[in-house]
Amino acid sequence: MSTFFKEYFGNIWTAIRTVSKGMSVTFLAFLKTNGLRKVRGGYNYGSGTVTISYPEVKDPLPSISRNRLFMHEEGCISCNQCAVICPVECITIESRKKNSDENPDAKTPAHFGNKPLKLKLMRFDIDEALCCFCGLCTEVCPTECLVHTTEFEYSKYDRDHLVYDYLKFKDENPLPK
Amino acid sequence: MSTSVNNTSGEIRDEIKDLETQELTINMGPQHPSTHGVLRVEIVSDGEIIKGAYPEIGYLHRCFEKHTENREYLQVIPFVDRMDYIAAMNMELGFCLALEKLLQVEIPERAQGIRVLVSELNRIASHLLALGTYSLDIGGFTPFLYAFRDREKILRIFEEICGARLLYNYIRPGGVARDLSKSVQEKIADFCKYFVPQLDEINDLLSGNLIFVNRTANIGVISPDMAVAYGLSGPNLRGSGVNWDLRKVHPYSGYEKYDFDVCLGLAEKGVVGDCWNRYFVRIKEMYQSIRIIEQALKALPEGASMGAVSKSIKPIGEIYMQTECPRGTLGYHIVADGTKRPHRVKAKSPCFIAVSTIDEMCAGMMLADVVAYLGSLDIVLGEVDR
Repeated sequence: MSTFFKEYFGNIWTAIRTVSKGMSVTFLAFLKTNGLRKVRGGYNYGSGTVTISYPEVKDPLPSISRNRLFMHEEGCISCNQCAVICPVECITIESRKKNSDENPDAKTPAHFGNKPLKLKLMRFDIDEALCCFCGLCTEVCPTECLVHTTEFEYSKYDRDHLVYDYLKFKDENPLPK
Repeated sequence: MSTSVNNTSGEIRDEIKDLETQELTINMGPQHPSTHGVLRVEIVSDGEIIKGAYPEIGYLHRCFEKHTENREYLQVIPFVDRMDYIAAMNMELGFCLALEKLLQVEIPERAQGIRVLVSELNRIASHLLALGTYSLDIGGFTPFLYAFRDREKILRIFEEICGARLLYNYIRPGGVARDLSKSVQEKIADFCKYFVPQLDEINDLLSGNLIFVNRTANIGVISPDMAVAYGLSGPNLRGSGVNWDLRKVHPYSGYEKYDFDVCLGLAEKGVVGDCWNRYFVRIKEMYQSIRIIEQALKALPEGASMGAVSKSIKPIGEIYMQTECPRGTLGYHIVADGTKRPHRVKAKSPCFIAVSTIDEMCAGMMLADVVAYLGSLDIVLGEVDR
């Protein structure tokens, strides 16, 4: 009989002890979040509130963050390397030989490598719905005119609207309409 | 009154004699929150006792292996990421190591150090998710939030290393895509200092909690023999007390240089091989990962982060390479025929083996324990179906 009582009350005691241990952790977390207590170990990296009210407050993304692609039209030499390396084939490039009335010695601007423009770029479409954000295309680009931007809010009502024509689309960070 | 009661109960007793018990087939998943993905388990139950549980997979099949045959080696890496999307760095590491073995190229010391750093960070992130969602399955909401708070910090570090939070495409044949900057190294060191007390807290919160222990201890006991017979690996195998860790047994990528322990299920609660021990092995492994990261940060040499590998690689031959991923031993079998594209790539998935134990283990279990068992296996269906 005594062992039964021992076990019965022992169980209750263990439950109270372990649960209150957990409760004390959550209570201390509450204090830490409100800056009333330092993080254990005296180390304050990452204490305080960790959530943000997203649409109003935005966490700045690192500059190398890979989000929507953007192509600077003046820098493209129509080398087609990005379209070849893309694992999901979301880039479409069309180009033609230059006509006689176009400048044959044209070059890309200095910040795009000063490369000779031998071909005339006719079409540069990226289907952002297909893009898998692997970043391979931006790495192979010889003039670094194709870049990942930090813009990630570009949802559309129609999937066709996600096909970006970069010969017309200029604004790098367009305002939402 | 008493007589009437006696009469009716007697009638009911007669009726019950004619009745038969009926087995009930329950469909768990594919949208069930605790199947961790799109796994469907067909459960045949007799009351609360389970007669049989038959897992059905294939809901997340994306033809990874067939896709690779039409892609160049560099283009395969984004696909590899999407197998186990929770530990994508470890998936890439195995594939790149296999290719490098085939090409027989030297990897710079710094690249190897960075690889160890990122794959151990990803192991922590993966175990945190496993821990958080497991506690959520059992009914504890708070550890889930704590685990995701800390996982977020790792993802932010990854974003600064390679630009992506989940699907990195960072480890490449020959090295890594970007060098690790000084500021990121400091951030990783900061994270290590921050994380150990936080992990102690999560440990206090969950591991000893009597409700959690009663739900998980002595449930779903996989004996060491059975674990080996099935071919389980990773924390599931070590939770059964089998001392097998590829990082120790067949070190790769310079793991032999680091001092760490292989964590085994030691039955602090329950018996060896039960759900609680599998869970606790993950907690202990996170401490060891922190140890490895601290050593790797200290020993990170200067130098190039990318070896001398040509852009279009054309390996020839056949290779099988396995690495220790957060969920177990992942193996890649690559058949290369000297062209730009692989002839065949086969991935051996640790989660598939874990899923295959459901059939045997769940028979005879209580219905509520299935959730505890499934969660303790820590499966990712992206890797099972591929």
